[in-house]
Amino acid sequence: MFGPFRLTNPLSGGLLWKIPWRLSRHQKYRHRNRLRAVDSVVATVDNALAKRGETMKKVVMWKAEMPTEQEMLPKDKYSVFDRKVKRYRKGIHKVPKWTRVSQRLNPPGF
Amino acid sequence: MPYFRITLMRSGIGMPQKVQGVLKALGLRKRMTTVYHPVSQSVAGQIMRIKELVDVKEMEHAVTKEQMREARRPDPGYYVERKGLAGDKLA
Repeated sequence: MFGPFRLTNPLSGGLLWKIPWRLSRHQKYRHRNRLRAVDSVVATVDNALAKRGETMKKVVMWKAEMPTEQEMLPKDKYSVFDRKVKRYRKGIHKVPKWTRVSQRLNPPGF
Repeated sequence: MPYFRITLMRSGIGMPQKVQGVLKALGLRKRMTTVYHPVSQSVAGQIMRIKELVDVKEMEHAVTKEQMREARRPDPGYYVERKGLAGDKLA
């Protein structure tokens, strides 16, 4: 009755998915806020180190290659590349732990 | 000496061991705990590992756990004008 392999409707076969295929606008709003929170953490760390005349490779690399929330395209904010999905895109809310991981870059051309 | 004020906003449950190890090393055991660490490259590297989970601010001074607790204490609603002395009643 309990446990990971219990008989639920999605597991007992068929096409029943309880996760909607797209994000609601409120999910998108909260997701943007989370992206901005990460940006502000990186900016704070960078400023604090710069005041002491120090840099750090991780921060420098992040700033060089990761787009900020404003710079990201809506496509990259709300969906990710997935080679198994038709047209190679799935909603970002299908990523495991998507509210606590950074997923900003996708393969060029997809 | 500047300090990072680090508050754990999102739990580390279910995150990789490296992330949970960093949380433990910084002293962040529960959500909403706040710790102060001096601004340095090693602490900055640790913050970068857990940047999705924490709120970070740069502060001039560190605040101890007791001071944080004292700041949360509500106003008692009274104040003592004068303390009675033990010998006053008899005199």
